Amino acid sequence: MTATVCGPVDGTLEVVDPGVPGERPARCVAVIAGTEKVFAGHFPGFPIFPGVCVVEYVQRGALATLPEPGAVLAAVESARFLGPVFPGSTLSCEFTWTRDEPKEQDEQHERGAAPGGWRCRAVATTERGLAARVRLRFTAPAGREAAG
Amino acid sequence: MITVDQIKRVLPHRYPMLLVDRVTELVPGERASGLKAVTCNEPWYEAVPDDAPPEAYHYPWTVLLESWCHVAGVLVAWEAPNPDVVEGMAMLLGGVSDAEYHRPVLPGDVVEHHVRLARQVGETYMFEGESRVGGATVLTVGRLVMTMRPAAELRAAPAGEVT
Repeated sequence: MTATVCGPVDGTLEVVDPGVPGERPARCVAVIAGTEKVFAGHFPGFPIFPGVCVVEYVQRGALATLPEPGAVLAAVESARFLGPVFPGSTLSCEFTWTRDEPKEQDEQHERGAAPGGWRCRAVATTERGLAARVRLRFTAPAGREAAG
Repeated sequence: MITVDQIKRVLPHRYPMLLVDRVTELVPGERASGLKAVTCNEPWYEAVPDDAPPEAYHYPWTVLLESWCHVAGVLVAWEAPNPDVVEGMAMLLGGVSDAEYHRPVLPGDVVEHHVRLARQVGETYMFEGESRVGGATVLTVGRLVMTMRPAAELRAAPAGEVT
């Protein structure tokens, strides 16, 4: 999962606070304009921002606040969509980063986590309240796995 | 085989968010498979500059997941069509867990989505499955929850009460 310029969202996500892992969360904000292209088809007559597009912004915010440059998104551990996001909403996201500490080898294997990776817990809210809680897992940059 | 004309009769999704081209197998209440042909003409690629590297054309995995959901949507809606979201029900993503993206999908690929209905409780459906390109797994979905909610109820819903 590399950062690409293509995606289903049109807005720009702004890093309000890059945060400090272990001290304070990173914060990002994006305005979900009514002109987002997905609204035309999701759904005609009832524009509601798709959950995957909320995850897209969350992913962009995570990539923008990565504690270690080069880490790559490995999995969406979970995403819970808790409130609808309508055109014109401001999506505020808070990111809490924790390093994946290397553990017993077999346990690592079971959890599918590479040593030295990062976990990101994100909370996305709008003016209406909670929109989503997302947990992402990132692997360490290539060539750094063994250093974990 | 369920073609796009039939898909549009059961799903409310439309361009650019109608992301399944054909449903190849459907066993009501059990499973469905469908195809999504990826092309560089999709709107996600509009802003990619001419000098972009090859990885700029990796299909957005969030859109790939949405496409997988649309096969799940046809599975749910086939016996209870729901094309009018304003009067009817909105099909919403409630949650997803353990979604992993294994390799990039590129323009020219035909993605086969495989969706299994694991459980249904009222208007909440739980699915699992995977997506393949030419036999290689590109996406696995551990669990995905979809809920059907009346649009009118959604508009009025206080925050935090969607799922």
